[in-house]
Amino acid sequence: MKVTFPYWGNYTVAFELLAKKLNLEVVPPERTTAKTIEKGTKIAPEMYCFPLKVNLGNFLEAIERGADTILMPTALGGSCRLRYYPFVQEKVLKENGKNVNFIVFDQSLLDIFSKLKKLSKASFFKMIEATIFTFKALSIIEKLERKAWYLRPREIEKGDTDKVLLSAFKRMREIKSFSELLRFEREALKELEQIRIERKKVPRVGIVGEIYTVCDHAVNFEIEKKLGNLGVEVHREMSLLYHLKKKIFFSDFFIQRKIKPYLGSTVGGHGRDAIYEMLKYVKEGFDGVIQLLPAYCMPESTVRPILEKIHQETGIPFLSLSLDEQVAEAGIDTRIEAFIDVVENYFKRRQLHKKP
Amino acid sequence: MKIGIPRALIYWKRPYFWENFFENLGFEVLLSPKTNKEIVEIGVKISDPETCFSNKVYFGHLKWLEGKCDLIFVPRLRRNEEKLEYCPKFFGLPDLAKILVKTKILTKTFDEGKEEFEKSLLKLGEKLGKKKEEVEKAFREALEKEREIKEKQEKESLEKLKTNSKKIVLISHPYNLYDEYVNLRIKERLEKLGVIPILIEEIPLTSRISTNNSQIFTNVQEDSCSNSCKFESYNISDIRAQIRENSQNPNISDIRGQIRENSRWPSFHWEFAKEMMEKIDEVLKYKIDGAIEISSFACGCDAVLKEFVEKKFKENKIPFLYLVIDEHTGEAGFQTRLEAFIDTIT
Repeated sequence: MKVTFPYWGNYTVAFELLAKKLNLEVVPPERTTAKTIEKGTKIAPEMYCFPLKVNLGNFLEAIERGADTILMPTALGGSCRLRYYPFVQEKVLKENGKNVNFIVFDQSLLDIFSKLKKLSKASFFKMIEATIFTFKALSIIEKLERKAWYLRPREIEKGDTDKVLLSAFKRMREIKSFSELLRFEREALKELEQIRIERKKVPRVGIVGEIYTVCDHAVNFEIEKKLGNLGVEVHREMSLLYHLKKKIFFSDFFIQRKIKPYLGSTVGGHGRDAIYEMLKYVKEGFDGVIQLLPAYCMPESTVRPILEKIHQETGIPFLSLSLDEQVAEAGIDTRIEAFIDVVENYFKRRQLHKKP
Repeated sequence: MKIGIPRALIYWKRPYFWENFFENLGFEVLLSPKTNKEIVEIGVKISDPETCFSNKVYFGHLKWLEGKCDLIFVPRLRRNEEKLEYCPKFFGLPDLAKILVKTKILTKTFDEGKEEFEKSLLKLGEKLGKKKEEVEKAFREALEKEREIKEKQEKESLEKLKTNSKKIVLISHPYNLYDEYVNLRIKERLEKLGVIPILIEEIPLTSRISTNNSQIFTNVQEDSCSNSCKFESYNISDIRAQIRENSQNPNISDIRGQIRENSRWPSFHWEFAKEMMEKIDEVLKYKIDGAIEISSFACGCDAVLKEFVEKKFKENKIPFLYLVIDEHTGEAGFQTRLEAFIDTIT
């Protein structure tokens, strides 16, 4: 049995480590490319949302390389179409003559735990160890990403940060034990610290939106890198750990209270979070907000008019980018560059007003 | 006081109910007109480009009502009595309406997972300054009227199902089925082409109660096949009485479980999805010549549903046509596709 799973940004590394830790034979998904998306789109239902098509492309490529079992999570709460991904994907793959096993994780962390335990036949302690290991790996990934947001616009030699990150994530895939992981964390942070930077004030832009598209650098055309290289510090609240923490601490309740004037109830997915984060960015004095969403994403397209209203009320520059298989990188580049011009003007104007 | 109700989207979930309810409470009700070109154009202009077509039509109706009444009623439908969710786009409607129109929005959350429907109604009445008894009376009367209409519809569609001529099931959400501008008068077109359209919405759910009933129905069907005159003398209310008797059958839950197992669809958390799939199971007990699913462009839920609906009809070797409608749908293209489809089944 060879397992595979969808590609999802740098988190893929952590998932791969988890599978290896549990002694599963794993075919790690390769980075999503335009070709992957094309393959997935060819067989996917036309009106379904974009991540499903990308996932299908990942699966097809993994199947070519010998995978026969697919691990697919469903939505951890929330009324989102992610719930039905595995059913539709299985159906579509069967129709195209690919007979693969689907192991569907139900909507709880406990279910993921028990199903993985059954699959790998690992002992309970081994499972606990693997869980802690994975969470540590996830937090390291997010920490490195967060550091990079700060470093990119300030680095003197352009591209240094990304070089370090690339090699770090490559090394991370080979890690086997917990102590190695801790050592890796120290080394990677040290390497990042050694990058020469110029300490200065730069405009800050917050990224809000759908979790898959904001976290996967392959489908959002490395928007964080792009913005960083254009001299903007990126911030992004939404991440896998944030989502899990939210589930554990029921923070939806507090989020709902904060956004009450704008939205009276959940709209599924991370609709409420987008509003909450945007309000937070406005409060913290950010210079722009970018919303990323897969085209026709139900929660995000529902809250977009509300985000636009906040933009009109507060004057913070706002750009909404919907991604799908037809979006070309050049188009996104142009829009980002134009947006950054607006952000810089906004930033400079506010700097001027502050001084006297 | 004048209360405006947009005649689109959630209105069609319970047509006649809301207007009757408010009228019984003593308010003047202003229903927006049937969907027309101007309404659609306004809706498309003011709404988010990526929201579904049905939503755009709804916003067009909202905009039409703006300034013509004191309050516009936009309920927030969350969950139904089975604790199944409505479309997530309904959740945000009142908030989006507040952004789009200047007229005051009257809203109330209906979450039957948390609160009974009647209680929510009482709270709504309180907001409007009405007494408990008044609201209860208005509710009962509106419900009675709704039931009458529903029963009549179901009776008619049952009769249609049992006829010998070519039948086509129209599968869609009520707001696509009943809005004639939106679905380009598909019902009329099909009738002109010589087939009987049957709306999935109007099919009574008997499978829920007992499988024995389906036997009754199949008997009727056989009878009607041999002699169509005989069928006319068959009294529907008798059948209903029999169903009611059967519903006291103790092993209902077993049968329900069986139905679930036999029909391989994931357990949907959307009320319309569950209902639709169950109704399709019901329809498949009769002789059906074809099925058409109408879906509004960019409808996220339909993207999921279509896969399973299509599978079901394909398994039963029934021709299936999938039509997507939006503001650009041309009548000529629509007609051609329908004609071609009818040719394949006759």
